[in-house]
Order: sequence, then structure tokens, then C-alpha cells
Amino acid sequence: MMELIPLIIWLIQDLLYIVVFPGLVTILVLAIVIIWLERKIAAKVQMRFGPLWVSKRIGGALQSVADLLRFSFQEFIVPEKSDRWAFIVAPGLMFAFSMISLIFIPVGPYYSYLFPSYYTILFSVGMIIITPIFAILVGWSSDNKFSFIGALREAFLLISYEVPFLLSVASMIVLYRTFNYVDAVAYQFRGLPGLVLNPLAALTLLIVMIRTTGRFPFDITEADSELVMGLFTEYSALFFGIGMATPYVELYAFSLIFSLLFLGGWWPAPLYAHGPIMGLIIPGIVVVVKAFIVMALLVFLRAVYPRYRLDQAIRSGWSYVLLLSVLSVLLSFGEVMLLR
Amino acid sequence: MSEKVYNLEEAATLSPSGEKYIVLQIGPSHPGSGHMRLVVWLDGDIIVKVDPDIGFVHRTSEWLSERREWIKAVPIVERIMLPDTIHANLSYVLAVEKLLGIEPPPRAQYLRSLAAEINRITSHLYGIGIFGIFLGSSTVYMWAFGDREPFLDLMEMLTGARITYSYIIPGGVRWDMPNGFKERAETVLQYMERRLKDYEDIWVKNPVVQARTINVGVMKREDAISLGVVGPNLRASGVYYDTRKHKPYAAYKDLDFEVPVMKNGDAYDRLLIRVEEIKQSIRMIRQILKDIPEGKIIADNIYNQLNPVMKKVYEEKRRVMFPAYMIHLRPPPGEATSMVEAGRGEIFFYIKSTGDKYPYRFRWVTPSFRNLPFFTHVAVGHRLADLPAIYGSIDYFPPEADR
Repeated sequence: MMELIPLIIWLIQDLLYIVVFPGLVTILVLAIVIIWLERKIAAKVQMRFGPLWVSKRIGGALQSVADLLRFSFQEFIVPEKSDRWAFIVAPGLMFAFSMISLIFIPVGPYYSYLFPSYYTILFSVGMIIITPIFAILVGWSSDNKFSFIGALREAFLLISYEVPFLLSVASMIVLYRTFNYVDAVAYQFRGLPGLVLNPLAALTLLIVMIRTTGRFPFDITEADSELVMGLFTEYSALFFGIGMATPYVELYAFSLIFSLLFLGGWWPAPLYAHGPIMGLIIPGIVVVVKAFIVMALLVFLRAVYPRYRLDQAIRSGWSYVLLLSVLSVLLSFGEVMLLR
Repeated sequence: MSEKVYNLEEAATLSPSGEKYIVLQIGPSHPGSGHMRLVVWLDGDIIVKVDPDIGFVHRTSEWLSERREWIKAVPIVERIMLPDTIHANLSYVLAVEKLLGIEPPPRAQYLRSLAAEINRITSHLYGIGIFGIFLGSSTVYMWAFGDREPFLDLMEMLTGARITYSYIIPGGVRWDMPNGFKERAETVLQYMERRLKDYEDIWVKNPVVQARTINVGVMKREDAISLGVVGPNLRASGVYYDTRKHKPYAAYKDLDFEVPVMKNGDAYDRLLIRVEEIKQSIRMIRQILKDIPEGKIIADNIYNQLNPVMKKVYEEKRRVMFPAYMIHLRPPPGEATSMVEAGRGEIFFYIKSTGDKYPYRFRWVTPSFRNLPFFTHVAVGHRLADLPAIYGSIDYFPPEADR
């Protein structure tokens, strides 16, 4: 009986980690804040007030909550000719896999004892890469030409930006000589942050982030003046809300990866510490704040850029971005040789 | 532009249920269509054929006008082209004045040009804003629509209304320029000049905009002439034609202005030409405010119809009340045409009178209708994503085309 207690504590901690911090609840709060911030920044640039109707005193910050409630009570319509099960399941899987990637992303050293794996970078990147496949399934199952074209665009972009993404992550793996986020952060604690060590990889990852999460100027799969709502044209109710929330979850996951690989992780906090406060909460807050800054930077692009055309995005994916990522790998190799 | 060339004759024979191509019904309820439907045949991502299905907002302006007194056609024609109402108003009144044989006094001519140029700026801003949202830039959309406001306020000061002015009547205009208008107009113009720099930074010189519009939707000079394209879209293709220069009306023969002409005829040139025309309009408004002559704002034979009360109102408030003569207008039998350079291009009016109290024939061609060949001829061979770029760049306004 007594030997079960550590296991139970371990399970509770794991559950708290996934559900509360930095998991589901944090994502929900951050998504609400980032959507609000996105709309407020755009409104500021565009000489408007932005959301102000719900909760006027705090600047309409609860507008996203109101939207979520509205989505929850709306009728969910399944089109007659759609592939029924795929139509219902695909958005959920899309959301789930982008959430699963978060399990493998540590926000503090303490976590490495909870999920003792040496290959967390590979796992998290793999899970993020799976999500667009379900986006394609969403578009296919709707039986709508606009969704279908959106899915095709997603597929094209998926292929052309996957390679630079993997190469930019690979270059950091080469540089840090580890597959583990905690070791990668430890490497940055000893010297300079990854942003300085390999700026090319950072730039590539930023571009890929913009593309994968559908920020401007790569808002191509749901270009409203061409494809109405892209993949989610036929969706309604909570499933539409999930579809809209998934890019923000992905954005969060990407920003966490970016801040761990390039911004020194939980740098001002101590590298190794025990206990939930120093081992998880404080480093976690540092990482999440860094990720939030990256997210805010990316949502600001919406106010500046219109969208590229599909062929232009694909061409730049296979030329400039691929070239950048290859150069970043070479740079990493060079640095490794030099530092040795 | 794709390598493969699609033949227009071949495209014309395609049926809507073709198996080879994806047939997209863009509109009439679609964020990128406006009040019309575009049936698009797609070969992969390449447009094979576009069939613009117009008429969803046909409002029978001609039929209605043929069954009403002459003066009542003014608000009807205005409602057809809402961002650009003064030009519809002006073109109709010019035709009626030709039938009546009256000439407005110089001050009224200047006021007409003033209202027309302010309206041209709002019309171009409207077009730039719609172009912005079609390419995905909500910033330019909001900016352009927000920057229309000072000009709409200016028009409200001048005419008493924001959109539908009904300002121009046969023989002159209804209101004189109010006190303080010149100062107010000068601040608005300076504001717009400042803003144009911002537009250049965020929109005209934006690399993404340039990538999306340069060499997209090229209308060659010969095609533009033979297809009968009008207005800024014609001038973007390199044709020096502007009704204000070639068949001057209102005060345009006294004004010193340039007609901007571009070379390439692509979507980017059509964007640039609107920005340039806003600059020319600002220049013209300054001249008008400086040179406007004193005098009556209504022709003498209309003024003589005013009763003593109306004359008193006219002297005190500089406002023309409608004499009974106006509603019982019976132009002598005959035909008249008029041409006016509106914001989107040339309006052509044809009116026939039999001496009755209603027009016998009332026909007009609006610029948007004449810019339709852009969909059928220019969009073919481009990618689907270029369709909003072409649509936005020609500043097409479906209600105006449907009339």
C-alpha cells in the first residue's frame, strides 16, 4: 500500500501538468488573451476600438469567452453529403494532436523527472507535423468545393514547409547535440542563447510558424475572399470553435518550442531546481511569458501584411526558406566543428 | 499567369456541369463576390473561364425614371452608385440642361466641380478599401473607410447629406458654399496628404501587395480600347482619355490638372492610378477654393420662377427652394446625351423627351458595366487567388453595373 503513494502523487502531478499548467487551462487563458490582443492590436493600427461590447471596463477582454459560449450553444449541422464520421472526428483529432505535442514540451527542469524521455524534441515536432493531415481530412469530408480547395492548399503548403521546419529543428539538435529540451536549455545556460548561435534557424522557424498557424501573410488556406472560410466552411457550433482554436494551440506549441530552443528557455530562473515552485511554476512562467511575446509579435503581422498567393508561398517555401534552413544546418555544423 | 494559353472561344462552349473542371459558384452570397455571382471554371488552380452573372441588384432605375416627373429621377439615379452619387446626379442634370437649353452660372459650375472632386476622392478611397480587404489587408480597408469620413463631413457641410446629396439641379446647385468651408476643406486636404504617405508605406509599397498585383490582370492597351473599358482602368492601360479633359463640363475647362496615365495595365497600375487621381483631385479642390467666382448659384430663368418668399430664403440662406416650375418641368421634344467622368469611369446618358412631363426614353450606361470584360477576358489563365486581386483592382461595384 505504501509503495503506491509515490505512484499516485506522480499521476496527480502529471494530470495537473496536462490539465492546469502549462496544459489545457493555461492554453485556454492564453488563447483568450492572445485573441483579444490580436484584435486590439489590429484595432489600434486601424483606428478602431476593437472588441468593447462584452466587459467594457476591462476593454472587452471577455469577448472570446462570450464567443466560446455562443459556439457551445449553437446547433451543429452535419451536411447531408458529408463523410459523416470524418466530418465529426477530424477537427477533434486536429485539436487533440496539437495538444498532445504540448505533453512533450517541458517548461521547467522538474518536468524531466515526470516524463523521462530523451527524445522530447522529436516527439513534440512529430505531433505538430501530424495535425495538418487532419486538416486535410476536414476539408475532404465536408463535400464542399471551397473546403476541398482549402484542403489541397493545406496539403501543398504542408509539404513545402515541412522540410525547412525539420531542418531548422535538426540544425539546433546538431548544435546542442541532444534530442532533449532540458539539455538544449542547459546548453544555452552555459553559453549564448540559440537566437545568437544560429539566427538562420530561428528565422526559418519563425517563417514556418507563421505558415503553419495560418497567420498573415500566409493566411492562404482560409482566404475569405476566395474560399469563404477555407477548410471550415461547412462547420458550425463548437466544432467551428475548435477549428478556430487549433491554430492558436499550434501557435502556442510553436512559441514554446521557439523560446526553449532559441530564447534560452527558463533562463533567468535556475537551471536545475527541485520542488513544484522552483522546478515548475517559476521556470514555467518565464517560458510562457517568452512564448507569449513571440505570439504577440506574430499576431501583429496581421495588421501589416495582406496574403500571398498559393504558388508564391510554395515557391518561397522551396527556395528561400529551404535555402535558409540548409544554411542553418551548415552553420550549426560549422559551429560544432569550431567549438570542438 | 500560366504557361498554358486558354482559348476564349473554347472556353465559351464549356457547360456548367463539365466533368473536366471544377466549377465554382462564387456568390451571390460570398465574401469575395459582392452582389453578383461569378461562375468560375478551374483547371487545377488555373481559371479557364469566368462567367459573371450580374443582375442580382437590378433596381429598374430606367423604368422608374420613365414613369416619374423629370426632377424625380435625380434621387433614383443617385441610389444606383452610392459611393459616387454626385456624378450620377451631375450626368443626368447635364442631359436635362441640354434639353432645356439653360446654362448654369459660373459659381454653380465651380460648386459642381468641387462636389464632384470631393466625391471622386471618397469613391477612390472606397475602391482602395475594398481592394485591401480582397487581398486580406483589413488595415487598408479600415483606413480607407475611416478616411472617407472627413470628406463625407465636408460634403455634409456643403450639401446637407452624407451620401445621397441630390445637390445638383437643372440650372445650378441647391446650396451655396457655407461660411468656414474653405478653412475646413484645407484642413481635410492636408490631413489626406499626410495619410497618403501612410497608405504608400503600408499598402502601395508593401512587398506582398506588389507580389500580388504586379503583372496580374494585365489589360493591354489595344484590348482596353476594343473592349470599351472606361475610367481609371482605361488610363492604367496607357490610354490618355478623360472626359474632363476631352469633353469638359462644369468648371473643368478652367481648371489646371493632369490626367495620370500608366503603362502596364496591371492591377498594381490600377491601384497607383487611383492614388494619383486622389492627388489630382486635392489639387483641383485647392484651385476651386481659390478661384471660385462670386455670383448666383442658379440660372436666371430658374431664379425668375422663385416667388418672393423663396427669393428671400435664397438671399438670406443662399439656398434654392424648388419652384413649382421644377416639378412640372417639360423639356421641349428632342434628344440629349451627356458624358461625365465619374470615379470609376465614364457615365453615358441618353434621354429623349416628347414634351411630356415624364421622360420618353431614359437610358444610361454606368462605368462598372463597361468594366465587366475584365472578368471574362483578363481573369482567364490566372490563378484562383488572382480573381479577388483583379476584382478589387477594377473597383467593380455590382449595383452600379446592374442599374
